[in-house]
Amino acid sequence: MRVTKSRTRPFSVSPQLEPGAPSDFELMKAIQAEDPDALSQLYDRYNGILKALILRVIHNEAEADDLLQEIFIEIWNQAKNFSSQKGKPLGWMVTLARRRAIDGLRKKQAYARAEERLQNETEQQPDAWVHNSTEEEIVLSDTRGLIQKVISGLPPAQQQAIDLAFFRGMSQREIAAKTNTPLGTVKTRLELGLKKIYDGLKELKSEL
Amino acid sequence: MNFKEFQNQSRLYVIGALEAEELEEFEKARKKFGKKAEDYIGECYGLHEAFALSLRPAKSSAAIKDSLMAMVRARKEA
Repeated sequence: MRVTKSRTRPFSVSPQLEPGAPSDFELMKAIQAEDPDALSQLYDRYNGILKALILRVIHNEAEADDLLQEIFIEIWNQAKNFSSQKGKPLGWMVTLARRRAIDGLRKKQAYARAEERLQNETEQQPDAWVHNSTEEEIVLSDTRGLIQKVISGLPPAQQQAIDLAFFRGMSQREIAAKTNTPLGTVKTRLELGLKKIYDGLKELKSEL
Repeated sequence: MNFKEFQNQSRLYVIGALEAEELEEFEKARKKFGKKAEDYIGECYGLHEAFALSLRPAKSSAAIKDSLMAMVRARKEA
């Protein structure tokens, strides 16, 4: 394990690619040149991650499939707006997918139904990340396992606050109301939790 | 707001968790710190990628991809 720290580089923990496979940046460049095969490869690489993200927001398989397709069409249409100066392709796609999923949830006025489902889930499993990161499920050689290890190191209340903010698009006030927690406590949980994840990921990146 | 406080707020900002009144202060500080602020916000967006990668990938039907690629090829030819 290398211990050299890289404090000035932006952190990013990307999945490993097969040797010789085009990088995400190369695929984006080809998509900008309107190469459908590049989109096909990008889809194969990331449809599972993006669909998981969408499902985490809207909890509906059919709607998630529709939205996934719309998001890849948007990736195709908006590729010209992607700039490598501003970040990595996966980060750009995730930001786009999250926004679309949260917008979709609200537009379809399914929010109340999702809230009800969330309520049921919250009662059964206080935190989905905790549920997903039991010891036997963590494979340490896997990127997801490493990130989950960082996240699962947080107290459950901090994980829950971040989960509600990131995956449900809730404001601090909405989280406070949802969890019957004082607003100041929610803010502290978010701040502490995000800092720990941020620092943990930087550490992880420097060790990979 | 000092830069350390700005860093705390940046992490909330990128996940959309700042309240309206905090957002106003944040934007003022963002202008004050200039490029240093923009670089830090850019780094914080790495959190989006990490949260997505923390999830177990979900399966999609092959029909979704077939339909997507048909639409894309049709648009290209149009």
